[in-house]
Amino acid sequence: MKNLIQSIGRPFSSFILMLGETSMLLGKIILSIPYILKRPQLIIKELFFSGVLSIVIIAVSGWFVGMVLGLQGYNTLQRFGSVSVLGSLVALSLIRELGPVLSAILFASRAGSGITAEIGLMKATEQLDAMNVMSVDPIKRIIAPKFIGGVISVPILTMLFNTCGILGGKFVGVNLLGLDSGIFWSQMQDSVNFHADIVNSIIKALIFGIFVSLISVYQGLSSKPTAEGVSSSTTKTVVHSALAVLALDFILTAFMF
Amino acid sequence: MSENIIELKNVSFAYNENKQILTDISMKIPYGKIVAIMGGSGCGKTTVLKLISGQIKANSGKITAFGTDITRANNKTLEQIRTKLGMLFQFGALFTDLSVYDNIAFPLNEHTKLNKTLKDIIVAMKLESVGLSGTQELFPSELSGGMARRIALARAMALDPELMMYDEPFTGLDPISLNTIAMLIKKLNDNLKQTTILVTHDIPITMKIADYIYFMSNGKVIAEGTPKEISVTENKSVQQFINGEVNGPFAYKYNSNKSYDYYLGRESI
Ligand SMILES: Nc1ncnc2c1ncn2[C@@H]1O[C@H](COP(=O)(O)OP(=O)(O)OP(=O)(O)O)[C@@H](O)[C@H]1O
Ligand SMILES: [Mg+2]
Repeated sequence: MKNLIQSIGRPFSSFILMLGETSMLLGKIILSIPYILKRPQLIIKELFFSGVLSIVIIAVSGWFVGMVLGLQGYNTLQRFGSVSVLGSLVALSLIRELGPVLSAILFASRAGSGITAEIGLMKATEQLDAMNVMSVDPIKRIIAPKFIGGVISVPILTMLFNTCGILGGKFVGVNLLGLDSGIFWSQMQDSVNFHADIVNSIIKALIFGIFVSLISVYQGLSSKPTAEGVSSSTTKTVVHSALAVLALDFILTAFMF
Repeated sequence: MSENIIELKNVSFAYNENKQILTDISMKIPYGKIVAIMGGSGCGKTTVLKLISGQIKANSGKITAFGTDITRANNKTLEQIRTKLGMLFQFGALFTDLSVYDNIAFPLNEHTKLNKTLKDIIVAMKLESVGLSGTQELFPSELSGGMARRIALARAMALDPELMMYDEPFTGLDPISLNTIAMLIKKLNDNLKQTTILVTHDIPITMKIADYIYFMSNGKVIAEGTPKEISVTENKSVQQFINGEVNGPFAYKYNSNKSYDYYLGRESI
């Protein structure tokens, strides 16, 4: 009986423990912001590695998602004789949902996993210990810049995803299927509201960015200092990020729209 | 102030309840001396260094560093103490994303406001002293194991710390670099009035440069003394270690294991 209760309780208590550890980590990262502000080049480097190097995958994915939306939307709307609203359909689905969610998940698998692996390897090879002994706090020097780089990158990448997606949708709807481009754009302009849609999209992306970056650095720091440890942490980063983003998306959507 | 830069008094340590790593260790590291810690693999030498640098905390006992009790020190005090010590990690622990130059300049960048020219000079000097001049632009992935350790040595020396701790600096070095590094350690200690803790398996070098030796086995200090005293010791474990004999009180196994004992014919399942 005791064993049964223990085995049910353990996942919960380890989940609570993880939440506690992540919040403490977040607190420490926030406390290191003054240190980071004196060394902006650390963030620029991270922006390059996690942001700039993700541009291609985000742009290409956005383009294809937009094309699929254009194709599906056109077929469905045609049945109701309302293909003219294709522009609104593509833009709203991208800006409100697909853009932030898919960008965050793509970011987790492209950059987040890399962040986890790098931190995990630095831990396994005692680089973090060495830094500690040189009385440099690895949280300030390594973790905080990676986290902040991620938080800045995700919203920008999301906007890029949205833009490429809309262009992809336009390519299918207008250039391939022959919808009038004036109608496509004017319908879109009518229905997309700057505050309700675009600002909320950026807020969503920002929150996703915070969660995905925090999960990535936390998994790196808590990985076991072995090859298997690092690889399992990398997997966890992608899985936990995807779950967190999808669950958060539901909550945020309920509040926002 | 006491004459010891580091003092360990009855220190015990365990990572978890299942296995005690260090039991009742007492050591004294006097200012300006080279103290060697020797002992078989896994006996807890690296753990002692980690305790001294405050990476882990003792479960009981007292550790004094530079006159401060670090078992009760807060993070600020620990940081201050750490700026006075340099540590060479067993596997180098170079920052793999930084070049050799940036690795050695790392402590300078973090703790000093030296200009670029001065930093260039210091890095070049440190590289010269470990015999690797001109490697500034290389990355850790382009270095051999022995080279990486010498670069790590240069990095540990960058701020001329008062206390240097070397974790097996000689493994994987050819005889010439081995002697060069040994002489360098001795020279640094004498010229810069540094204190040195040297963890090593190399008996001849230790006998030559150490002022005092601690022998550890299974998390305990089993013998101590000057090289002269150690070389004439009656202690069977130490004799075995010094002569590198296979049979003796030192047993090279982690934990006995039923199937292994069965395999050796010591036990039937
Ligand atoms: N992070 C850890 N968690 C649990 N046990 C550990 C950890 N690190 C080391 N140990 C254990 O502590 C003991 C002492 O390890 P330590 O690294 O101090 O040995 P050592 O004397 O430096 O050996 P070597 O000469 O091989 O470097 C070993 O038995 C090891 O199993
Ligand atoms: Mg060791």
